[in-house]
Amino acid sequence: MTVTQAMRGTGDRSGAQLAVSTSGLTKRFGDRTVVDRVDLAIPAGSVCGFVGPNGAGKTTTIRMLLGLIRPTAGGGSILGGSLTAPATYLRKVGALIEAPAFYPQLSGRDNLNALGRLGQLNLKAIEPVLGRVGLSDRAGDKYRSYSLGMKQRLGIAAALLPDPELLILDEPTNGLDPAGIVEMRGLIRSFADDGMTVLVSSHLIAEIEQVCDYVVMIRAGRLVHQGTVADLSATQQSDVLVAPEHDEDRERLAKILASAGCAVSAGPGEATIRVESSGLSAADLNRLAAGNGITLRRLAEQTRSLERAFFALTGTDDAGLRPGQEMGAIK
Amino acid sequence: MTWAAFTSEWTKLKRRTLLLSTFLGLAVAASAFVVLLFANAHAHGDGGGLPTLQQLARPNGLVVGVTRATMLLGIVAFGIAAAQTASEYSLGTLRQLLVRQPRRIVLLAGKMLAVITFILLAFLFAAVVAFLVAIVMAHARHTSTSAWFTGTGLGDMFRALGDIALAVAGYSILGLAIGQLLRSAVFSVIAGLAWIIAIENIIGRIVPSTTKWLPGAALETVASGGTEGPTFSHGLAVGAVYLVVALVAALGIFARADVTA
Repeated sequence: MTVTQAMRGTGDRSGAQLAVSTSGLTKRFGDRTVVDRVDLAIPAGSVCGFVGPNGAGKTTTIRMLLGLIRPTAGGGSILGGSLTAPATYLRKVGALIEAPAFYPQLSGRDNLNALGRLGQLNLKAIEPVLGRVGLSDRAGDKYRSYSLGMKQRLGIAAALLPDPELLILDEPTNGLDPAGIVEMRGLIRSFADDGMTVLVSSHLIAEIEQVCDYVVMIRAGRLVHQGTVADLSATQQSDVLVAPEHDEDRERLAKILASAGCAVSAGPGEATIRVESSGLSAADLNRLAAGNGITLRRLAEQTRSLERAFFALTGTDDAGLRPGQEMGAIK
Repeated sequence: MTWAAFTSEWTKLKRRTLLLSTFLGLAVAASAFVVLLFANAHAHGDGGGLPTLQQLARPNGLVVGVTRATMLLGIVAFGIAAAQTASEYSLGTLRQLLVRQPRRIVLLAGKMLAVITFILLAFLFAAVVAFLVAIVMAHARHTSTSAWFTGTGLGDMFRALGDIALAVAGYSILGLAIGQLLRSAVFSVIAGLAWIIAIENIIGRIVPSTTKWLPGAALETVASGGTEGPTFSHGLAVGAVYLVVALVAALGIFARADVTA
């Protein structure tokens, strides 16, 4: 049993064995600081979402973890190996970095063969990983004939080839259609079930929040937040969506709520108002509306998504993040 | 570990299109030189820069065509080698390779060995084909080939093959280093061709005394087993200095550079 499997088995992450830990990790390109004193602590066995807008420094951080970019300052360890000696841990790491990159004239199978030989990996694993990502039927075809989704799946297959303890997926949903994104989520879930630690980065927070149990948020190269999704959710107040029975009461209702100290904004759908973290319960809001002669036809509490949590934590509404991707459950 | 990098690189090199185009291309080019030499050779007298049939009948006549094709072989070797390293940047595959083999010197050494052996095998194949063509052409021009297969003739052949192989390996190493430094297959090939074909010639015409110190000329000297001017050992020494400098620069930069491609 690997360390990762053991951790998942107990579900204990206190005092956790960390799959990834960094201290003061910094990267500067000339005058520009791309990653700024980032301290990561990603527990073994977690599915960690590494989220932030485009240009936040996610890929640079991942490249430093993989030994592709030399940190300007700071250090860390991956699976117990020092960041300064990538050869000590990369045998146990699988990675898909940004867009999949393979040799167009070679088949999918031969591409994996080349990587397997280079890493002195078990070449018998090639067929099983191709099967796992659903590429067995097309494995003999040239890579250049693959669709974007197939290329992405071959990238995943390459990452799985070393039977990794840590799987790093950088923007794995890039360019995928909705069905492909759902499929990718399913794959990530299955990796977690196998006991791998999965670090999955995305600028589309809503797309990965459903599979993560740990989250690292980064913005402008700086760590904004890291912790379990459960802990983050607990700190986030829910929003309440309200809609008056008659549409013409919408503005009056908004004014009443605002004068009661609520932060209001337009909600999804016509006539719906979002009441953000007011401290008032749904019952309070219902009572307030009724007291002013307004009957509500909708009163729903909405859990904040990671995306909104990110905005709340950074105090921004970043254009780099896709707007209107509210994925939280309506209770 | 270098062996792993070597066999991995060969997985890419042995693809049918590259294998056929390189092996057949070099064979056709070397054979074309042989055909042209025999077709244009005069029976006696001054060949006007070309060997006569009388000269081609000598023990070293078998390898004259291949020796004359050295620059072409060198240019092809340079281009293939440069493209093999530079394309790892343009395709973005370098990051995959470095995750599987983070020891960069090992990776580059394995790649270089694989590319050099690939090019040398292609050269040997081309040489064998060119020799067969030479035999056919000699018979067509009623030129005796008996001296070619004497002890002296075979000795000359193996010596010439060794010299040319050494020069071709040199061109390959230069190509690998330039591809690594420029990180663009197209720029590397253009730069290599411009240097070998044009720039060295221009420098040589302006300052003739510098010719024997230039890398292309040095490798040509090695390929021809020495000339009336620079000797074989001089060419070997000058060529080796260039190769070592190119290798150290390429390895030094590659070992430390951030991989952002």
